[in-house]
Amino acid sequence: MSTTQHDMVNRAEAGGHHDHHEPPFIRKYIFSTDHKTIAKQFMFVSLFFLVVGGLLATLMRWQLGFPSQPMPGGGVFPDAMMAPTPGGAIMLPEFYNSLVTMHGTIMIFFAIMPLLVGLFGNLLIPLQIGAPDMAFPRLNMASFWLAVPAGILMLASFAVEGGAAGAGWTSYAPLSASGEYTGVYLGQQLWLVSLAVLGFSSLAGAVNYISTVINMRAPGMTWFRIPLATWALFITAVLVLLAMPILAGALIMLLFDQTIGTAFFLPEFDGEPLLWQHLFWFFGHPEVYILILPAMGIASEVISNRARKPIFGYHSMVLAIIAIAFLGWIVWGHHMFQSGMNPMLGTSFMISTMAIAVPSAIKTFNWLATLWKGDLHLDSPMLYAIAFVSLFIIGGLSGVYMASTPVDVYIHDTYFIVAHIHYVLFGGSLFAIFAGITFWYPKMFGRLMNERLNKIHFLLTFVFYNLVFWPMHNLGLQGMMRRIYDFTQYEYLQPLQPMNRFITICVFILVASQSLYAISFFWSLFKGEKATNNPWNSNGLEWTVPSPPPHGNFAEMPVVYRGPYEYSSPESDTDFLPQTTPPRDRPAPAPVPTPQGA
Amino acid sequence: METEARHKHPPYMLVWGVLFVLTMVEVFYAFMDIPKVYIAVGLIIMAVWKALLVALYYMHLRFEPKRLWVLAASPLPLVVILLTFVLFENF
Amino acid sequence: MTTHAAAVGRAPMPGMEVYNLKLGMWVFLLSEVMFFTGLIGSYIILRFAHPEHFAQPGVVLNVPLTAFNTFILICSSVTMVKAFAAIEQGDQKGLKRWLLATIALGTLFVGVQVVEYTVLASEGFVPMAEAYHAIGRGNPHDGPALGGPLYGATFYTMTGFHGTHVTIGVLCMWFVLWRASKGAYTAQSYGGVEIMGLYWHFVDLVWIILFTIVYLI
Repeated sequence: MSTTQHDMVNRAEAGGHHDHHEPPFIRKYIFSTDHKTIAKQFMFVSLFFLVVGGLLATLMRWQLGFPSQPMPGGGVFPDAMMAPTPGGAIMLPEFYNSLVTMHGTIMIFFAIMPLLVGLFGNLLIPLQIGAPDMAFPRLNMASFWLAVPAGILMLASFAVEGGAAGAGWTSYAPLSASGEYTGVYLGQQLWLVSLAVLGFSSLAGAVNYISTVINMRAPGMTWFRIPLATWALFITAVLVLLAMPILAGALIMLLFDQTIGTAFFLPEFDGEPLLWQHLFWFFGHPEVYILILPAMGIASEVISNRARKPIFGYHSMVLAIIAIAFLGWIVWGHHMFQSGMNPMLGTSFMISTMAIAVPSAIKTFNWLATLWKGDLHLDSPMLYAIAFVSLFIIGGLSGVYMASTPVDVYIHDTYFIVAHIHYVLFGGSLFAIFAGITFWYPKMFGRLMNERLNKIHFLLTFVFYNLVFWPMHNLGLQGMMRRIYDFTQYEYLQPLQPMNRFITICVFILVASQSLYAISFFWSLFKGEKATNNPWNSNGLEWTVPSPPPHGNFAEMPVVYRGPYEYSSPESDTDFLPQTTPPRDRPAPAPVPTPQGA
Repeated sequence: METEARHKHPPYMLVWGVLFVLTMVEVFYAFMDIPKVYIAVGLIIMAVWKALLVALYYMHLRFEPKRLWVLAASPLPLVVILLTFVLFENF
Repeated sequence: MTTHAAAVGRAPMPGMEVYNLKLGMWVFLLSEVMFFTGLIGSYIILRFAHPEHFAQPGVVLNVPLTAFNTFILICSSVTMVKAFAAIEQGDQKGLKRWLLATIALGTLFVGVQVVEYTVLASEGFVPMAEAYHAIGRGNPHDGPALGGPLYGATFYTMTGFHGTHVTIGVLCMWFVLWRASKGAYTAQSYGGVEIMGLYWHFVDLVWIILFTIVYLI
């Protein structure tokens, strides 16, 4: 079979089953194979988990702001979590450990990752490359429906005896391997199984994304005409593909230690706790790039469009994404500087970690250069995107401190690290997610979001976010450690109590402010201004089809003539030039209808 | 296409024969009275040889576009990295 | 297919020049490489860290039996590739015959492994740390323990997950055989058989590495 026929068949297979009638509700909305519907499914479930993760953090902050004081309304919690007293209930240390663990786990695996990879990967990849759907639509459906039981298992672990996992999201052995250390038995096992199931979901997604981007690009969509969002998602999928299985192996070995009685990580039988750390972080470091690369891709799209300027240095942006992904495989030991590993490794990891700041810096300067002298439209997606850049810079800079092994002696496992994590994950990833949801909301739902509500949300979030997390740099440098139930037991930390209380109050306001985005989101679904195909005057292929796009996306196979960032181009009468607009001097070819099913 | 014609007659039985012979050689080699390091290195070479035969001929990699070779080889540097760095813990 | 020809709207970009199903299976197999790397890598690392936990080849594990099993699996790769060659020629009967042979050989492999596990466990070679008391093949029952708990833990995890992959492969092959009996595969459309083959050969490939590293070194 010739290549052409192969590819035609590829596109037809992926186009799915083209019914000439409406599919029943359950096939259209529940067990859908349409990538756009699956994207929305990921979005709604992930936003739910984002709220759960935020509430868990709020509970944690109560304890840190008002240590061992009765929490009003705490009586609703089971006695195993909070001990009832007059005025409410006092949080128990074991529950605090679970909160710490589950906040991190849920935010990383069930909120940020599925939002960036599940929502934006599914939504954008086929549309931006001109494909009718993913390469394997049924596998895509399976990917979502595997993530759901994983989430249920994770939430269920709160309800079992012993409570939810309490060994940190990093689950270091032997603390995590034996319930006698944390008091958590079944909860820890459910945590492992849940992540293993989620791993399958992620893997299915990765196989789909990689195959789709390689094989299903529309004519003229060369590699260096692919938008940066899709580039970032493609490289992210490669990281998921190769890193997740290492986590799977480690999870299995830890599960065996907990249940069967093996001793991979138990020192009393000559097991190696450091082996867990090496395996976990060999996965864990690519994981954090999985959590930031798609955000960078989204930021590039929004900034370029809203500045009405080509992204500065498109090729170097692509190469920087690839460089970050490459280098990301040889830096994992910077999470282990204080673990007791071979000091020679400390040196090599320090060097590679400092090196990886370079491609990130290249991207940062390119965003700044894109903004420079641009025709800036400071609407809410742009505000979120610019905030992403500024907060990511702070997070990245604190990372350079941590990369230095001698400095890390003092700041490892302190709130300095917590500050860094949240500057890159909240200041970085989450702000980019807000930007992306707002930017592609019209494409998903056919309506524009409420700009005023979004702007108020942006302002409140930006201000209170910084009030919460900036001081944590100072707290860390003054010696406040992570994951601690009651730091006031240490006299030298007692002066930090007022700052902690201040942070807690700011957290309450920060969390409450998020309701504005939720209101904007749901209000706009019904009352938002109806969107045209291309409300942002953007160049990508996704903006050439209706909002929302029909099943199969493109009625005619798109033909691509240029890259996606031709804003303010002299070749155009307007300030944008879509990828599929034929050049003035060449007539458009006869349209080829998209093949409809085999 | 030329590659299609070629892969209708790859030497499946010859490869099977070589795999069989290599397996027998491996088993006898493992019990020879020579320093362990030579046994380990020799066995790894033979195992990799067998694995390559399976990959190139049974999985048809030999007859696929070179890009697929690059894709197939992509995890190997990661394998080396993981093992090298972590084995350093013992020295 | 050049970019230029593609750009005039006749066909999508050439991509990997391999059809979707095959590309997807290769991509999936890369993740499997990483999975077994994690398990086998852990074995190597633990063995370097605690060599006294492990025994010399043949002392605890049954090399002749497993060498035979290795041969079985290699033969099953041959039968699988013959099934593929058959459907490339449109030979439906050949396809089904060779698929059945592959299923039989795969099942035999798993069966032998189950027997092997049973005998090893009865000799005290178990994955549980506290219960580990391997006495080696042919030793009197009261012999000293050979190796240590890490040996049992790593052995059963690595070979067990490989065996699980073989079992899943056999089940998938029943499905492929069923589809073949419905005439789903032809000389023009044999993707399902080809990707089944790719998975099966990969499982054989992993065993080739495992057998060498675990049983012979």
